[in-house]
Amino acid sequence: MTLAERSRWLRRELFEMVVRTRRGHVPSSFSCAEILLALFYGGVLRYEPGRPDAPERDRLIVSKGHAAMALYPILADVGFLPPGALAGFTRPDGVLRMYADPSIPGIESVSGSLGHGLGIAAGFAFAARHDGAARRAFVLLGDAECSEGSVWESALWAAHHRLDNLVAIVDRNRCCILGDTEELMALGDVEAKWRSFGWDAVTVDGHDVDALLGAFARLGRTAGRPLAIVANTVKGKGISFMEGRPEWHNRMPNEAEVAQARRELGAGA
Amino acid sequence: MAAERLMRDVVVDAVYEAARRDRNVFFLSADLGAAALDRFRAELPAQFVHTGISEQHMIDLAAGLALSGKTVFCYAMASFLTARCYEQLKCALAAMRLPVTLIAVGVGCGYDDAGPTHYTLEDVACLRALAGIEILSPADAEATAGIARLALERPAFRALRLERPALPPVYGGRFAAALRTGLAEVAPGEDVCLVSSGYLLHRALAVRARLQAEGLAAGVVDLFRVKPIDVRALARVLERYRAVVTLEEQFLPGGVGSAVLEACADAGLLVPVRRLGLPERYPFENGGRDHLLQRAGLGLDDVAAAVRALAAPRAAVA
Repeated sequence: MTLAERSRWLRRELFEMVVRTRRGHVPSSFSCAEILLALFYGGVLRYEPGRPDAPERDRLIVSKGHAAMALYPILADVGFLPPGALAGFTRPDGVLRMYADPSIPGIESVSGSLGHGLGIAAGFAFAARHDGAARRAFVLLGDAECSEGSVWESALWAAHHRLDNLVAIVDRNRCCILGDTEELMALGDVEAKWRSFGWDAVTVDGHDVDALLGAFARLGRTAGRPLAIVANTVKGKGISFMEGRPEWHNRMPNEAEVAQARRELGAGA
Repeated sequence: MAAERLMRDVVVDAVYEAARRDRNVFFLSADLGAAALDRFRAELPAQFVHTGISEQHMIDLAAGLALSGKTVFCYAMASFLTARCYEQLKCALAAMRLPVTLIAVGVGCGYDDAGPTHYTLEDVACLRALAGIEILSPADAEATAGIARLALERPAFRALRLERPALPPVYGGRFAAALRTGLAEVAPGEDVCLVSSGYLLHRALAVRARLQAEGLAAGVVDLFRVKPIDVRALARVLERYRAVVTLEEQFLPGGVGSAVLEACADAGLLVPVRRLGLPERYPFENGGRDHLLQRAGLGLDDVAAAVRALAAPRAAVA
C-alpha cells in the first residue's frame, strides 16, 4: 500500500469503527491521519511489528486523546493488537476504548485528559538519555490542547534540559469544540511560540506526508533542542461536510450522511 | 532531649543512599530545598531533577520516568504537591498505578503564618479519594525513616505527609513493629481513645498526660497510615474503649475522623466517635500554628474537655 492509499484506508477504517458503534471522534482523528501514517509507515518511528513492548522502541503518545483511536487500525496492522480487536472498539468485551490507556498493546500512556502527554513524553525522553539509549519520544498534541498551561510547563522544561530526542507534533486544525481557536482563544503564531520556548520548530502541511517526513528529518539535527512540528491540518479532512466544522466534533452522521461520507472516502472503491 | 532531625532531611538522606547505589532512583523537586538535599544535588546531579515551580509538569514527568522503569520521588510543599496537580495525580499516577512517592512537606498549618495558600486543610480527604494511594503521616523521625525505607524497598503510589518542624520522639525504637498494620497504640488506656497522627499526635499525648493526673486513663493511637486502614487491627484496639476521639488538622469531611468512622462501620464496631478538626474556613489570621489550633477548638483544654465528656461517669466527676 502506498502512503496515499494508506490515508484512504485509515479514514475508511476509522469511519466504519465510529459508524458501527456510534462512539469516537471522526474529525479529530482525520486531522492527524497523515501525521500518524508518516510516523508508522514513513520510517520515522522505530518499532518492531508484532512486539508492542520491545524495550528499545520509540515512544509515542497521542496526547489529544479523543484522537488516540486513530492509532487503532495502525496498531492492528503492525501486529500489536490481537486479531479482531478493531471489531471490539468500545464493545463491552473489546480491548479498544474511546480514549486510550496502556492496557491496550502499543499505547504508552493514559490519554483523554488534555495537557499530560508532553510531560510524560519528556519523562520518556529524559529516561532514554539517562540510560544512554537511542529511544526517542513523540507526542501528538492538539492545537486547542495547547491552552492547557501544563503543556507550556513541560515545553519550558524540555527545552531547558535540551531534550533533542523529544518531538512534539501540534495538530493545528484550528478547532476547539465550540469553534475556531483564533476566535475563541487565539494561539496565533504557534511555531513562534515553540521557538520562543527554546524548541526547534517548523510548520508544514499536516496532510502532506512528504512534507511531514521532511520535518521529521530534522530530528537529530536540532543542536540540543527538542523539535516541534506544527502541522497545519483540516479537522475532518476527507469528509467534505465535516471539514473545518467544529459542530461535528461529537456529532454522529445520519444515514444519508454516512452514505455520502462513504462515497467521499472511496469505500468499496 | 536531643534535637530530632527534620523529617524532610531523614527522607532525603534515605533516598540519597539508595540513589548512590542505584542510578535509576530519581529525586524531583518543584523548587523546594532541604539541608540534606545539598549533598544529593552536588554528588548525584544526574538523579536530581529541578522541575521548576511546575507541579503539574513534575507529576507527568514522574509518570514518564516511572513508565521507563525509574524509581521516582516527587518533592514539594504539601499544599502544592497535593492540590495543584491533583488531576495529574489522578490521570497519570493513580490511573496507571505508577509507583511514585510524593514527599509532601508542611502538612496542616505547618507553614506558620503563611496562610491558607500554604496550609493543607483538606489534603487527607483529597488524597484518600485517589484509587490505590497509600497515605502515611509520620509523627517522629524514627517513623519517618521507617516509612522512607518502605518507600524505597516496596515502591508504590504513596504520599508521605511530612511535618515541617522536627517533632519529639514517640516510638523509642518500636516503629518497625507498627509498619505492617499502619497504626500503633502508642500509649495504652482503657476509657477513651484518642486517634491522631503527625503533629497532633503529640497533642493527643499531652492531653493524655493531663487527664492521667485526673485519674482518667485515655489511650492514644497513632493512625499514621490513614489509607489503607487495617480495619481489623484498628477495631481490635478501639473495641477495648468506651469511646473514640479523633484529632486532625483538617476540615472534617473526608478526613481522618471520617476514615476512622468508615473503618469502624466496616468492622461492625459500634463505638461513639467524636471528630475534632478544623472549622471549614480558610484562616487568614496571624499568630502561628498553635494559635490557629487553639482558635479552632483544638487546644489542650478543649481536647481534654472533649475526652472527659465521653469518659465513664467516675472519670467525668473526678
